Amino acid sequence: MSGIDVDLAVNGLITGLFYALMAIGLSLIFGILKIVNFAHGEFYMVGAYAYTLIALALGVPVWIALPLAFVVGALLGWLTERTLMRPLYAGYTSWGLMRDEYAVIVTFGLSLFLINLVDKVIGPYAYRGPPLVETSRVVLGPVLISGHRLLAAGIAIAVIAITAALIKWSFWGQQIRAVSQNRLGASLAGIDTAKASVIVFMLSGGLAAFAGALLSPVINASPDVGIFPAIKSYIIVVLGGMGSVPGAIIASLFLGVIESFGAVYISFQYRDAFGLILLMLFLLFRPQGLFGEKGREV
Amino acid sequence: MAGLLRRDMLGVALAVAAIMLPVAGAQAADPIKVGVTITQSPPGSVVQGTQVKDGLEVAAKIINDAGGVDGRKIELVIEDTQGLPEKARAAVEKLITRDKVVAITGEHQSSAALAGIEVAHRYKIPYINTNGWSDAIREKGYPEVFNPGNYNSRVGSAAAATMKDLGVKRVVSIAENTDYGIGLAKAIGEALKKVAPDVQYKYETLDRASKDFLPAILPMRANAPDAIINLMLPPAAYIMMNQLYEQGVAPSAKTWLYDGSGLADYPDFWQNVKEAGKGMLVFGLYHPKMAQPALGKQVGEAYTAKTKNEPNRLLFQAADSLFLIADAVKRAKSTNSEALIKALGETKYTGTRGEITFSKDKGYAFNQWLDVPYVTFQLTEINQKVGDAALVSQPGQPLDKSKLWKPAK
Repeated sequence: MSGIDVDLAVNGLITGLFYALMAIGLSLIFGILKIVNFAHGEFYMVGAYAYTLIALALGVPVWIALPLAFVVGALLGWLTERTLMRPLYAGYTSWGLMRDEYAVIVTFGLSLFLINLVDKVIGPYAYRGPPLVETSRVVLGPVLISGHRLLAAGIAIAVIAITAALIKWSFWGQQIRAVSQNRLGASLAGIDTAKASVIVFMLSGGLAAFAGALLSPVINASPDVGIFPAIKSYIIVVLGGMGSVPGAIIASLFLGVIESFGAVYISFQYRDAFGLILLMLFLLFRPQGLFGEKGREV
Repeated sequence: MAGLLRRDMLGVALAVAAIMLPVAGAQAADPIKVGVTITQSPPGSVVQGTQVKDGLEVAAKIINDAGGVDGRKIELVIEDTQGLPEKARAAVEKLITRDKVVAITGEHQSSAALAGIEVAHRYKIPYINTNGWSDAIREKGYPEVFNPGNYNSRVGSAAAATMKDLGVKRVVSIAENTDYGIGLAKAIGEALKKVAPDVQYKYETLDRASKDFLPAILPMRANAPDAIINLMLPPAAYIMMNQLYEQGVAPSAKTWLYDGSGLADYPDFWQNVKEAGKGMLVFGLYHPKMAQPALGKQVGEAYTAKTKNEPNRLLFQAADSLFLIADAVKRAKSTNSEALIKALGETKYTGTRGEITFSKDKGYAFNQWLDVPYVTFQLTEINQKVGDAALVSQPGQPLDKSKLWKPAK
């Protein structure tokens, strides 16, 4: 493997880690609510702005601004679930009765609202978030990477691991998995399904905002910064299997590496098309994704 | 009997006068509506749109405070195109057919301008292209379209001259995937072939909506060119510059970074690039040390008072666009589109940047102000104001290499 290949692999994996932070939340929302949140990219955008403005405008140290951005995203997630999502499924015990196309319309509307609100209130100018460390270049063998990006990757690994562990072993994680398997059954077993939905939305919003915050020194916060990461998240959720957290992680890393190598060896201009091509192939030959389950409804 | 008839006629005449006078007065006070198509929301450049809007509003205020044009105030009717051609087309159609504007101006993105001019041409309404640089806009040869702003061939020849003076052998342009970016990249290539045929040149096209350009930059680290020319707009341009710096590609001891997009005077430039901008050579359409007419200084001061920002070239281009329309209305003594187009074609007006006239040569020069002033300067400190940056060349003068700075590594 040549030096540039190592560079591409490392950068692809790092990019994949940030995709995973975004995609896990989306996958959880689909798993438990069976809806796609089309405002997910805007949670990422809000996190990027929250981190940048808290650190720059309020002078808060970056290591405090970072978790605060998570909190802002979680609060936005709570507000979204409580005011926009709850009316869609409240009173429905069967998913067959819920009008999930309303969720598409509502979340699209929320996306447009947030983009334009930020554009008008904060302004159209991009803001570069302060880096976690000032070291602009770190040399690791053939790989040259910024200190911030390296540290952000490490933090992303830790957060993903903690999230996966919480989902698998914690009390609420088990409740969430029960609700995602069978909402009616979980409800009959005494699980508060509404609370599970709130937790998932808050976790999803927090993770997306955290991803935006980690990347704000790299991607520079602007009103439309969340559009592309959101599209990648939708692709990853399908590739990994809708509702599968391990699937979302594996698919994210896979997509990051594919895009990295494809951009150099095939074409950079079609870099964002590789994910869409993979999506089409999976939908044709393995629609359940890597770790999803096949199902049939009559 | 005759007396009665005379009295009736007098009564009728008085009644008619009573009706006509207010109407005539209202017509004289009717504002002159000017349609403006700018980006006010993503995915287009909202930063540019905001600067153009500010420039037009400053100019409108200057005109209206001086009594308007023959007593008629200027009224801006603004439409958001989002930088999208289809929205630009719809915006121009609406402005012409529903708002009945006398002229269209403000457009700052070439793709949107190329769409808008088709509608203006169909309706034969004057279109003042504020900042669409693509030569293709001029090459259409539409008599309604006037171009007082910069054009790709101008940047192409300036960039090529700079590369020649720097003595570089390999040049790479990084262009955004738009009519402006690709057109300019090609224009630079053509110009280099003429002035420096030994220079190896190629260009890379990057998606302006992307947030990661590392896969495109990594191969350059292995085989760095002597100069990289930026042909991208914010925010993608800032991300690309940061990643070029992070990877040690440019600006560096080996590789010059030259900006052909006019980034340096954007209000958010330094906040977004920091050390990545230090050492950048800039094709500058505005520098405080440039000779500027009194109107330019007036507009600049009014802009700074309004926004608390330093003036920039988009402000002056926008202001000139509106001043030219007002001047044409005044000379034509009419807002009839045919009369306006004729008057615009005969323009000889000293705006904010110099005396503006429109060439009648075909191709990129058609209805273009050819002598758009520019300079080349270099940013040598982080957070440096444009006015403090070293002027390294002016039109007609070669690059002053003694003023150039390059990083140690």
